[in-house]
Amino acid sequence: MNPEEKIRISFRLNGREVEAHVLPGETALHLLRERLGLRGVKEGCGIGECGACTIVVDKKAVNSCLMLAAQLHGCEVLTVEGLESPVGLHPLQEAFLEHDAIQCGYCTPGMLLSAYALIISRGVPTREEIVRALAGNLCRCTGYHQIVDAVQDAARRMAGKEEGRW
Amino acid sequence: MVRGYSRPRSLDEALEMLARLTPRALPIAGGTDLLVDLREGRLGECHLVDISRLEELKVLEKRSGKIRVGAGLTFSEVERSGLLRECAPVLVKASSQVGSLQIRNVGTIGGNVAHCSPAADTIPALLVHRARVVLRSSNGSREVALEALLGGPYKALLAPGELITEFVLEDASHMWGEFSKIGRRRELAIARLSLAALARKEDGRIGELYLALGAGTPVPRRMESAERALLGKRPQEGDLWEAGWLMAQEMVSVSGPRPSTHYKEKAACGLLVRTLLPLLEDGS
Repeated sequence: MNPEEKIRISFRLNGREVEAHVLPGETALHLLRERLGLRGVKEGCGIGECGACTIVVDKKAVNSCLMLAAQLHGCEVLTVEGLESPVGLHPLQEAFLEHDAIQCGYCTPGMLLSAYALIISRGVPTREEIVRALAGNLCRCTGYHQIVDAVQDAARRMAGKEEGRW
Repeated sequence: MVRGYSRPRSLDEALEMLARLTPRALPIAGGTDLLVDLREGRLGECHLVDISRLEELKVLEKRSGKIRVGAGLTFSEVERSGLLRECAPVLVKASSQVGSLQIRNVGTIGGNVAHCSPAADTIPALLVHRARVVLRSSNGSREVALEALLGGPYKALLAPGELITEFVLEDASHMWGEFSKIGRRRELAIARLSLAALARKEDGRIGELYLALGAGTPVPRRMESAERALLGKRPQEGDLWEAGWLMAQEMVSVSGPRPSTHYKEKAACGLLVRTLLPLLEDGS
């Protein structure tokens, strides 16, 4: 078997059709960050414990470090780069700024995307639902309270206005 | 080293590929365990066969009093299923405690069993539901009790080219069920010990009871000494402590003394008491 065998995939990334040739063992994280230049996708632990690499695939939050690039074929993929629109920051991003939900910022893209997936599936979630949905995203700076506040606030502002961007 | 990747469009095509590419073929579903092994360099030369989108592995139905649960269902799908909430409460509770939401969204119960970690959350749950496992390969199919598949830590006894397609559970409607675990933190922690419990009370007595311990023995297993100690009783708290102690002894007799035994004996006992407290006379 040819060890260089590459697989051709196509998927929607932040609203745009993209095509890529990926190696069989390549992770979605590697493709998005290193080859497509989306630096908002962070590698923290690489084994699914920290959530820094969280992306939204078909409206669900997943760890891109634990997914094969080849498995993105045919999917709708959202990274933090796709949250902002031409008119400005996404309400979640605004709320994170207003509530001081960011310190070093390393966990922020993953937090935003976990929160985004929660809000598009649940509307206005309870505090408990937010805590549970963000449990797979570690933050070593904020102590989480500001993040939960920001998500709750953003969910109220977004209520009924967003069905899922991509 | 991953040498190839294929995404078959049907179960039959997947089985044919697995047979053709044996012994290098490796099925991948959610990938949440497999990609960790890949990163750590624990995978040899392999060709991945992606079974994550096969609808045939997503069966979910009640038929002739049995519950058929597709091996390809994700933990999130199990957690959300109305049928399983009613008929397989322990599996639902265990699935809701796996890893994080990101992992539950893609990880599957078939993968959890095939990976066969001593700490796999859904194995004790499936054991108390007395699950049978349906396996298919290009040569045909067979059905075995789940116990018969658990060969050892990370060793499910699957034949080459064989795939777990579904689990067949006893209907547990109207039964009480719980799944508890001890981990180093509440979320995302690998279980240091876990306990699945399924019970039915009749006139205040325990009419049926199934207990299975995870992470205490090389593979999760039913704890029959503790089950027997409580069957037919109207348990008082003292009875739970006694059953907990019997369970701890059964665990040690299977695993042999280990550095963690001193802790795990007491922890197992306490876990049983804490889990079964709602079964006490006044807790019912």
